[in-house]
Amino acid sequence: MENSAKTTLSRPLKPFNVIYWFQRSLILFSIVTLFLPSFNPGRIVDKISKYCSIFTAAVSFENLTSKIGQGFTKEWVTEGTFRLVQFSSMALILGIVVCCIGGCMSLGNNRMRIRGIIFPISGAIIMLGGMFGVHTAYGRVTAELIASGKEKKLGIRTEDGSFYFMLVLAIAILVLSIILLIGELKCEKEQKMEMLERYKLFLYMLPILLVAFIFSYLPLWGWRYAFFDYKAGADLTMDTFVGFKWFKFLFESEVTRNDIFRVLKNTLAMSGLGILTSWFPIAFAIFLSEIRSTGFRKTVQILTTIPNFISWVLVYAIAFSLFSTEGFVNDVIEQITGVAANTNYLQNDSLSWLKMLLWGTWKGLGWSAIVYIAAISGVDQSLYEAAMVDGAGRFKRMVHITVPALVPTYCVMLMLSIANILSNGMEQYLVFSNAINKDTLEVLDLYVYNLGIGGGQIPLSTVVSMAKSLISVTLLFVANNVSKLIRGESII
Amino acid sequence: MKAEKKQKKSTKRDSSFGLIIYKSTVGDRIFNAVNIFLFAVFMIICVFPFYYLFINTISDNELVNRGMITFIPKGIHLSNYKALLNISDLGKSFIVTISRTILGTALMVAVSGFAGYIVTKQHMWKRKLWYRMIVITMYFNAGLIPWYLNMLMLGLTNSFWAYIIPGIVAPYNIILVKTYVESISQELEESALLDGATTMQVFTKIIWPLSKPILATIAIFGAVGNWNSFQDSLLLMNSNPGLYTLQHRLYIYLNQATSISSEIDAAMVDRIAAGMLSNRIIKYSISMVTVIPILCVYPFMQRYFVKGIMLGAVKG
Repeated sequence: MENSAKTTLSRPLKPFNVIYWFQRSLILFSIVTLFLPSFNPGRIVDKISKYCSIFTAAVSFENLTSKIGQGFTKEWVTEGTFRLVQFSSMALILGIVVCCIGGCMSLGNNRMRIRGIIFPISGAIIMLGGMFGVHTAYGRVTAELIASGKEKKLGIRTEDGSFYFMLVLAIAILVLSIILLIGELKCEKEQKMEMLERYKLFLYMLPILLVAFIFSYLPLWGWRYAFFDYKAGADLTMDTFVGFKWFKFLFESEVTRNDIFRVLKNTLAMSGLGILTSWFPIAFAIFLSEIRSTGFRKTVQILTTIPNFISWVLVYAIAFSLFSTEGFVNDVIEQITGVAANTNYLQNDSLSWLKMLLWGTWKGLGWSAIVYIAAISGVDQSLYEAAMVDGAGRFKRMVHITVPALVPTYCVMLMLSIANILSNGMEQYLVFSNAINKDTLEVLDLYVYNLGIGGGQIPLSTVVSMAKSLISVTLLFVANNVSKLIRGESII
Repeated sequence: MKAEKKQKKSTKRDSSFGLIIYKSTVGDRIFNAVNIFLFAVFMIICVFPFYYLFINTISDNELVNRGMITFIPKGIHLSNYKALLNISDLGKSFIVTISRTILGTALMVAVSGFAGYIVTKQHMWKRKLWYRMIVITMYFNAGLIPWYLNMLMLGLTNSFWAYIIPGIVAPYNIILVKTYVESISQELEESALLDGATTMQVFTKIIWPLSKPILATIAIFGAVGNWNSFQDSLLLMNSNPGLYTLQHRLYIYLNQATSISSEIDAAMVDRIAAGMLSNRIIKYSISMVTVIPILCVYPFMQRYFVKGIMLGAVKG
């Protein structure tokens, strides 16, 4: 308790606390640049993939040289040059990590801060070493390419913006740290290194926040591809800014416009069917609770939740075993009528929406009912007893006691499903789709996948992804506010 | 004594609702019968497909190929499962899936446990902001293609780590743990802190052991999720089929309309030619192999999931 009880420790004096914030922000920013390809100083030739960030270059030589293969075999360039780039990238990462340690220590008391300043200084020096390595690699690769006369093949480059940017970043960290070192040396040092509990707790949280940032917030950086030109098969570039070209293209081109309308129709139909049948789990829970035998109720619950835990691929495997040419249904028909039956019910586009709804219900009904079953068991029993004494029959009790008890839960579920009206997920529709039913099955999520990954239309599918995310989050806010207005409670 | 018994009898409560049973009318009985019948039918619909797959993999292959096995297995044998051992791709996928399930789940549980505890600490610097930053990711994401480009940028395509690292921070599970930790008495923690324990010690010695029920719950959900994972394999492992997950492999086999024979060794091709094995049986057997682990852990997870879903209904 000693640490957390103390609310004050020695802090940096007036001009220096600002410099500390500046230095920490630079270090934090340099972590982000590790993952952003546009800040990679080590793209010494054009043929290095434009997705290649410092991090990628350091961890994967294969990724770094994925398009240089010919250059090595024909000896235009040496592997050593690219190894140099890899090691320089590693040095940059190491330098930034060392800077981070110093940044963390700068949250402590005087003694800890002063001890910590050595880290950003050495980190920045390591970074500068890495930059020198990159600079050498530039020189070597240029010399090699000129010697072999293949400048055009790999695309010769000179140090560009990203190189000087990193250089300035490293120098700035170094200079700031030295200023801090000189300024802070004078201040009084305590016996031991200490840090306030609130900062310690934050530092425990920091790695988790970083992972969340990298995988959930960094993808937003990819939205910028929606505004740049792109030819299928080429690297994504940010060379030609085209503004809203792809947004317009989506509706100007007849093909994509028709696609979008078809896909939206499917999406809204499936979500709509889902919302229309969203009371199924309630009915399931209420009728299940009317059964007296506990054993039977438990068995029903156990067996009907199994399908929820298998993947959509397995659901498709089951559909395949039941409804394909050699499946169960055909076998039974054959056995009864004696005539060979060979219908493949999966290769069929009639009633696709309904079929998908039925598979979804089969998979999810038992599971979605659990939350209502739990809610029913939480209803005050004396209500039922009083109703019985007053002569209310079974259905009256259901309608006037059980159903009202479930309405709050149902509202939350309904609002969430309205907010998710555009997100049906793609797995179910992907596994069930085939050449025949694909027009009626393709929902928005699947369309984005087919367009972007299958068709290589990265900017166009980014536009659709982006629009979908924005609409979804707007819907969620609207649903949340509606819920606040009606029930006085938010859903998220 | 007698009167007491009588009273007990008259107020005998229904085990489910504590309803006092008066009498049941004819209408009631018909309702009950129909109700039970409908639930029995739905139960059968839920379970029969698994049973059907299973009996078709263990029955005499010739009968299966003629479509004779519909309800009752005949000529039971296990050689189909042995035959699967000859498909080397399947073995690889099995190992990949098992490793990602174990490693991914262990890391996710450890991180969720720790994060769930840390975010309950009121005096963390800017606690609310960080907590919201994590929770928001549940409701808002950049979209599929930006996510894919991000993974490409991080060099996480065609790499086993693509299965593990993004799953480490699971916001929903962090909320579950947080809600659970908040329900643990604060006094234990405070007295430990007074005795000079550090935050880490409190976590490892007190919070972690006490939150085992919720950790078990998220572990089971995490493991099932990892086992069932298909989308990340489909999107990210384009040029490295050695890293396909089991579900992805199954998807590929199911979609091979004509034959899987290109994937298997000569001995099996011969058996197929001799009519002893068929693509249909191989597909069924692979499906069974994929589903059996889920069905095996299912009884254990059963008692956890009600708890999990109820805690989840409580807002973060």
